Amino acid sequence: MEKLLNIKNLQVSVADGEADGALKEILKGINLEVNKGEIHVVLGPNGSGKSTLMNAIMGHPKYQITDGTMDFEGEDLLELKTFERARRGIFLSFQTPEEIPGITVENMIRTAKQSITGENIKILKFRKELKAAMKELQMDESYAQRYMNVGFSGGEKKRNEILQMLMLQPKLALLDETDSGLDVDAIQIVSNGVKRFHNEDNACLIITHNTRILKQLKVDRVHVLMQGKLVAEGGPELIDKIDKDGFGFLQGAE
Amino acid sequence: MSKVQFSEIPMRTWNWLGVNEAAVDSELLAEARKLDVNIEPDHQENMVVEYRQESYGAVNINVGENASLKLTQLQLLPEDREHANEINIVLEKNARIQLVAVETGSRAFASKVNIVLKGNKSRADVSVLYFGDGDRSLDMNYVLDFQGRKTVGNLEVYGGLMGQSQKIFRGTLDFKQGVKQAKGYEKENVVVLSKGVRNRSVPIMLSGEDDVVGNHAVSSGKISEDKLHYLMSRGLNPVEARKLVLEAAFNPVLELIDDEKLRQEIDSYIKERLENE
Amino acid sequence: MAQEKTYIEDIERTLYDIKNVDKSKYKSQSGLTEDIIRDISARKNDPEWMLEFRLKSLEVYNQLSLPNWGPDLSELNMDEIVTYVQPDAKMTGSWDEVPDDIKETFDRLGIPEAEQTSLAGVGAQYDSEVVYHSIQEDLVKQGVIYTDMETALHEHEEIVRDHFMKLVPPKDHKFAALHGAVWSGGSFVYVPEGVHVEIPLQSYFRLNAAGAGQFEHTLIIVEKNASLHFIEGCSAPKYNVTNLHAGCVELFVNDGARLRYSTIENWSRNMMNLNTKRAVVGKDGIIEWVSGSFGSHVSMLYPCSVLKGENAKCEFTGVTFASKGQNLDTGASVIHCAPHTSANISTRTISKAGGKATYRSAVKVTKNAPYAKCSVNCESLMLDDISRSDTLPTMDIEGDEADIGHEATIGRISDEAIFYLMSRGISEEEARSMIVRGFVEPIAKELPLEYAVEMNNLVNIELEGTMG
Repeated sequence: MEKLLNIKNLQVSVADGEADGALKEILKGINLEVNKGEIHVVLGPNGSGKSTLMNAIMGHPKYQITDGTMDFEGEDLLELKTFERARRGIFLSFQTPEEIPGITVENMIRTAKQSITGENIKILKFRKELKAAMKELQMDESYAQRYMNVGFSGGEKKRNEILQMLMLQPKLALLDETDSGLDVDAIQIVSNGVKRFHNEDNACLIITHNTRILKQLKVDRVHVLMQGKLVAEGGPELIDKIDKDGFGFLQGAE
Repeated sequence: MSKVQFSEIPMRTWNWLGVNEAAVDSELLAEARKLDVNIEPDHQENMVVEYRQESYGAVNINVGENASLKLTQLQLLPEDREHANEINIVLEKNARIQLVAVETGSRAFASKVNIVLKGNKSRADVSVLYFGDGDRSLDMNYVLDFQGRKTVGNLEVYGGLMGQSQKIFRGTLDFKQGVKQAKGYEKENVVVLSKGVRNRSVPIMLSGEDDVVGNHAVSSGKISEDKLHYLMSRGLNPVEARKLVLEAAFNPVLELIDDEKLRQEIDSYIKERLENE
Repeated sequence: MAQEKTYIEDIERTLYDIKNVDKSKYKSQSGLTEDIIRDISARKNDPEWMLEFRLKSLEVYNQLSLPNWGPDLSELNMDEIVTYVQPDAKMTGSWDEVPDDIKETFDRLGIPEAEQTSLAGVGAQYDSEVVYHSIQEDLVKQGVIYTDMETALHEHEEIVRDHFMKLVPPKDHKFAALHGAVWSGGSFVYVPEGVHVEIPLQSYFRLNAAGAGQFEHTLIIVEKNASLHFIEGCSAPKYNVTNLHAGCVELFVNDGARLRYSTIENWSRNMMNLNTKRAVVGKDGIIEWVSGSFGSHVSMLYPCSVLKGENAKCEFTGVTFASKGQNLDTGASVIHCAPHTSANISTRTISKAGGKATYRSAVKVTKNAPYAKCSVNCESLMLDDISRSDTLPTMDIEGDEADIGHEATIGRISDEAIFYLMSRGISEEEARSMIVRGFVEPIAKELPLEYAVEMNNLVNIELEGTMG
């Protein structure tokens, strides 16, 4: 299988809010390989570093890589800026998507698609595709002309993230709690969106608290992150076990 | 009696608005009750200043590193008196002031408060309550002067106006250049209870630094009819309903007054005013 | 007309009550003399009453001192005010004389060649007037008048006399008085009762055609239930050899009428722009201001709406972008003088490269205006730590039935928003400029398309080379 993402001994720190200049270590040596065609799931309690992992892969300037390597299709990600990573085919569905007044959803996605493909995207064809994707996510067409996430409910913001994923067709989709704050129906819609997106040429890395979103996806690997370390790995059966028993049985693994 | 300028707005605006300066009778300032306080580093203090007779009071405070002070100032002069007061505070590194100011007395008063957030990470939380009735005149000028990094300043003002009272409230957040990651917030909520009032508000925000977050908001209006209707449908008469709504509106400040007796005094003072309308 | 009297009375009580007049200070220093005024008046062939008006204004001008608030005007040499007032002959310079940076701006804005050359003088003006006349013919039949002020003064003397500087009286402030004394050029628009002017009128050509100077007067009267959209000077940063602009705009919006007044100002950077704009709005009438301030060295500009009739409305949308060497003090004021009047003020200011942007406003609710509603929202964006952004709103509310709200924020572009856009493949520079464009979008969307495009281009030009 073709290797997409290869993370070795990744250590990540953030600036400590209290003390000037001090760093606080969040990820303490992560190893992770994601191949084309796979779906990976990262589980873990709050504050274990899951979002930090996502942001580090996307290159958020707040998160400092203190050690380790991160390659994407053999290319050193650490050398690339956030937008360059996006252009290589990495997509992050944000846990709390930004509101950007004045920029419409349509304008945003079209600008992004032009940036990523380097081509001029014809407006009519683009609109048709956008409309189709919105329909699939049961988003009202009028949202295309609304400002990015401004006045959107939590669920609408998340659907807007999935909409961007469908339109931009990344190679690796990072889904950071895309299902949190959604009702049962919305989870179903988002889950359908991910299912339709996924194929043998791309991969998903999913963070979730709610395993419902995983029900109709074929999960390949499950990783458990606790206090900045991956403490357990396994197949989909691990999901059921944690669902049933919580993370308690893993405490000893630290 | 001659008038002298007592306080001035940090940035002038149209003269016809009449808010650029506050003038008081020079006699009023002839004698001051002065209080100079120095809070030693790492100390925590609690102070109450009450004005019941003084024409003019001035409080100067330096809050040392890592020290904190809660200052409650109550102005409760009889309604035939005039009054002026001022507070000047300098906050050193990591120092904190919590200022609770209540202005419910005197026929005419002017107050000015200047807080310098000098040290990094110093913090000021200011809560103000004012109430005017009859033909009272209320004049306030508050300035939070941000000079240190990561400083935080909040200014929350709750007011009620009735009768023919006149009020000017100026509140300024002044972010000096270099105050990286400073945060300032100012809000004034005014409840207007009668036709004859004149209510002037000047929320000023000055900034020479981009890495700050500054917000201000002012709202002025009468008590919501819906709220009153709701309470009256539960059996309260109009005066009782208004009292309750106003009490709720002032609660954010009232509950900061530690002395139960003082809190009661102010609360019943306001209620009495409402009844005598 | 009895009605005009009430305008003044209404307003005098509230607005023009200037108390701090220093009557002696500048009197002896002024270089502006009666002879100069008489000379201007004679050259313009003024009627007698206008000459008197000018002379009276001169008197007021000599009595008033400079404002004791707002930007520093000391660069303006009031002793040599006469040099700013010199005849307009210099305006007829050739395109070649237009400074390079302005020409370049025009090129980059993609202003059509015809418009570009029309800037240079009268000769090219005809190219554009063809377009203009084709609109006008249609309107003329309905009684719409659109002409320059000098022509209006002779052909529609009564209307002009009834309205001229009634809303902005010379004693309002020193520059209003100066304007009253030396005004020249400008536009006159009259829309009769019930007539809807569907296509916006643009003052851009008019100003040039009339050889208008920096003291132009705009007088617009929209009669009952009529409507008009007027665009002022948009793509016309004028070539000015002098550096003072003290124009005056008076808008009379009668009962049930609607007027939209749009401006994008992009004066060259040596301009002191001390402009006075005011509208009075009758019962059920609506004034809409769309105001973009990009140019000039110093600006003081606060369009004022006097809501005189019951249920009159004001919508104000403004953007100000202050860059290097600029001190732009802008905002709005609203005077509620009648029941159920309402106003919405929404502004955006941007400052960068040491520029100083000030938002200043006044909302006045008089006793006669129960149930007045006003909401003010102003947002300031700072693009670096060497610029300034100040916000100074004042609310003065009488009575207990007014519903007034004010909100303001100040800050910079959030790093999180940049990261979000970059995570979608958009470069940092493009992300920043997208966010700034988004910030001014509420104003852009109020403009006709070609002006919205122009404003975006202005923003882009301003942003270029400053992105880290």
